[in-house]
Amino acid sequence: MQQRKDELVAKQAKLAELKRQRQLRAQQSNAGRASIGGAVDLKLGTDRRAVESLINDILGEKASGSSTGGAGSPAGRGSRPSSVLSAGELSNAYSEGPLVPGTPGPSTPAPIPTPAPAPAQPPPTLTTVALTTVYECPPSPVKEVFTYSKGVQTTEEWIGPDRPRAHSGVSDIDDIPGTTTTPNKRLSRRERDREEELRQKIKEEIEEELRAAKEYITEGTVGAPSASANFPSRDLTQEELSAVVQSDDFYDFLEQSTKVIERAFDQDTYDILTDYALHGQDVEEDDDETGNTGGRGKHRVKEVAQFFDERWSKMRMVSGIDFSPKFSELLLASYTKNPTAPHEPDGLVQVWNMHMQDRPEYVFTAQSDILTAKFSPYHPNLIVGGSYSGQVLLWDTRAKAAPVQKTPLTGNGHAHPIYAVDIVGTQNANNIISCSTDGVVCGWSMDVFAQPQEVLELKNPSQAKVAVEDVSPTCISFPQTDPTFFLSGSEEGTIFPCHRYDRAGAKAGVDRKIAYKGHTAPVMSVDFHPAKGPVDLGDLVLSSSLDWSAKLWKVRAPAATSTGTGDGIVSPLMDFVREDVVYDARWSPIKPSVFALVDGAGWLELWDIAVETEEPVARILPTTRQEGRTRSLNKVAWEQNDGKRLATGGIDGCVTVFDVASGLGGKEGLKHEDWTNVKKLVNRVDAHGLNGAMVV
Amino acid sequence: MADPSLPNGRAALDEMLGRLSRKPGFKASIVLDRTTGSMIKTTGDLSALRTSKSRDEATAASFSNEAPAAEESESKGIEDFAAMVWNYVNSSGQLVQEMDTDDELKLLRLRTKKQEIMIVPYPKYIHTVIHDTPPA
Repeated sequence: MQQRKDELVAKQAKLAELKRQRQLRAQQSNAGRASIGGAVDLKLGTDRRAVESLINDILGEKASGSSTGGAGSPAGRGSRPSSVLSAGELSNAYSEGPLVPGTPGPSTPAPIPTPAPAPAQPPPTLTTVALTTVYECPPSPVKEVFTYSKGVQTTEEWIGPDRPRAHSGVSDIDDIPGTTTTPNKRLSRRERDREEELRQKIKEEIEEELRAAKEYITEGTVGAPSASANFPSRDLTQEELSAVVQSDDFYDFLEQSTKVIERAFDQDTYDILTDYALHGQDVEEDDDETGNTGGRGKHRVKEVAQFFDERWSKMRMVSGIDFSPKFSELLLASYTKNPTAPHEPDGLVQVWNMHMQDRPEYVFTAQSDILTAKFSPYHPNLIVGGSYSGQVLLWDTRAKAAPVQKTPLTGNGHAHPIYAVDIVGTQNANNIISCSTDGVVCGWSMDVFAQPQEVLELKNPSQAKVAVEDVSPTCISFPQTDPTFFLSGSEEGTIFPCHRYDRAGAKAGVDRKIAYKGHTAPVMSVDFHPAKGPVDLGDLVLSSSLDWSAKLWKVRAPAATSTGTGDGIVSPLMDFVREDVVYDARWSPIKPSVFALVDGAGWLELWDIAVETEEPVARILPTTRQEGRTRSLNKVAWEQNDGKRLATGGIDGCVTVFDVASGLGGKEGLKHEDWTNVKKLVNRVDAHGLNGAMVV
Repeated sequence: MADPSLPNGRAALDEMLGRLSRKPGFKASIVLDRTTGSMIKTTGDLSALRTSKSRDEATAASFSNEAPAAEESESKGIEDFAAMVWNYVNSSGQLVQEMDTDDELKLLRLRTKKQEIMIVPYPKYIHTVIHDTPPA
């Protein structure tokens, strides 16, 4: 309606403008005539009036009739200039501000019976008549379009369907009596209003119903008989039910939710709501002597968990174990294939959680036996594995069971089983190093698995005349400080130092000038000392072999080897002779003198060379799943962050986790002497030879 | 993480629930749809899922030797229980939402004198487990 008014005002203003122009013209002509008459204007004040009246008489009613307002003005001719001025002011005011309803414009035609001062009810006839006068002088199209179209747009917007109904209804009703113009428009508006009203009513009804329903529910749950009157909204049919149950969504949900619940079950070791006053007779009898333990005092070892999954672990052997570097409660185990289940994937990696002992946290599969697997120390989500088929595989704990990346079987890469993988480098620049039994060592980028970044072939330097010159490495180990140098244990029993790149005086590959000879059977593991202490013990290496022994070596610095002294044969510092094949030996990541080994008889042994070099300080057999049968253990791994926990796995596919007491692990009570003692021992043995070590 | 698209997907579900039900102290579990509150799966001793009222009804029905009536009241009881859980989860969710609109309800553990109700709400489903509290 406001638009309508504005429109009228604009038209009135235009009329006034026209009138003013005409009067100006008239004045000019008068003035011209006066000046022609040669008289001074001021003096002619009264004469001019006479002249004007004369002119008016001459021009007749035509001129005054065309200038609508002026003719009927009762103010007389004398006041014309002022009246023109006021009209102009008025029109200006109108064009700027909203029209006060009922105030008559200067062009208001005479037939209006009541002059407007009653603003309460603006007569509708006023506006319609005004429209008829507009016909005489058609409005300029530009201005019309400007005001009108703008108004129309906003009107449309405001009664649009997405506008809150309550407001529109009220405001429209208010507008109705004042301003409707054409009956046509009025009708449509009425209709719209009626619709609004209807919608409003419907909305209110719905709200009413909702409110009622809510009240119903809340009342119901308090105990009214109609507790589930509104619940469930409906029963699912059999088809719907099975559709839901079959859906991936539901599967994922159930997988997650049961995990949460199982963790909650397993976590319940202590009841936080215990009231000791009420249950005085219930004495906790969980002391140190229960369960499967080994060793005594501070060298005690206690079995804390066993991980075995009926479906996945059965008939498989554990081929690799690693604790997560980020989450110390997670550990992975890789498995060989299950020969009795041809339809299951051959390769398997399970990630176990110490807080959920009945099922694996994640299961990863591969098409070929997994022979080794490791968490990436730099990406807590990634797991790298080596397979029997010669593939390096990468799994992601955020993805599904299948590997997210794998190296090709053909072309450049490995064509033989990979028994050793490692991730070397730093947080920002690291590579996967893999080593297959044909002596090929490949370096891979974490992102590009299509081809290796570097390929190194290890050749046996001393056996050029022998038909087979391959080294056939079984294991590799990198020192903590140098990612370009590594040791590789071989099937023949020798441990070879190898360089990844050409160095001064030494070509990449096996170092020709030196070899660590001592084992007489395939070497099963090589492990550099972790060397995170005040004294550098990083040159100490532990190896295990099928010749029923583990050996301690002092490795020459890679730079020193290239200078080439002596015959190049290095003998072990110490020999730990066992009663069975030794499959794995690993340094404790925290205690400098402690290491763990596992043997073919199924024993886990913990050694502390600062205490005793002839016998282990503790040994323990994992609980056997089948009564009376001990099974050989393949692998042992320490938890890297505080070295208090270690895991073993073997031929029966069962992973067993042990806790060690303060003498064997843990950061507390770690003394400076521990490091210097080891250093002293090593120096003494180095100086006096093996016999010197034996008499210690 | 077995592939759910395998034909043994159903079996895997049953196995997961079965393993849960073999836990010591486990009484019953029920899986509901989050939006509608419809029951999807129940396992374990269903009488643990009954409300006290429906239990009374069931006893009354069993006295009158009307097997179908007892059965009916039992299923009614589970339905009542589901409704209670559903409303409980929704009002708890509302509480969390009103405290912080970015927050989300993850787990409800309700310890009572006799048992514990563990509710794991997910966007689409709700898993509820009733189990005995550890003896203490």
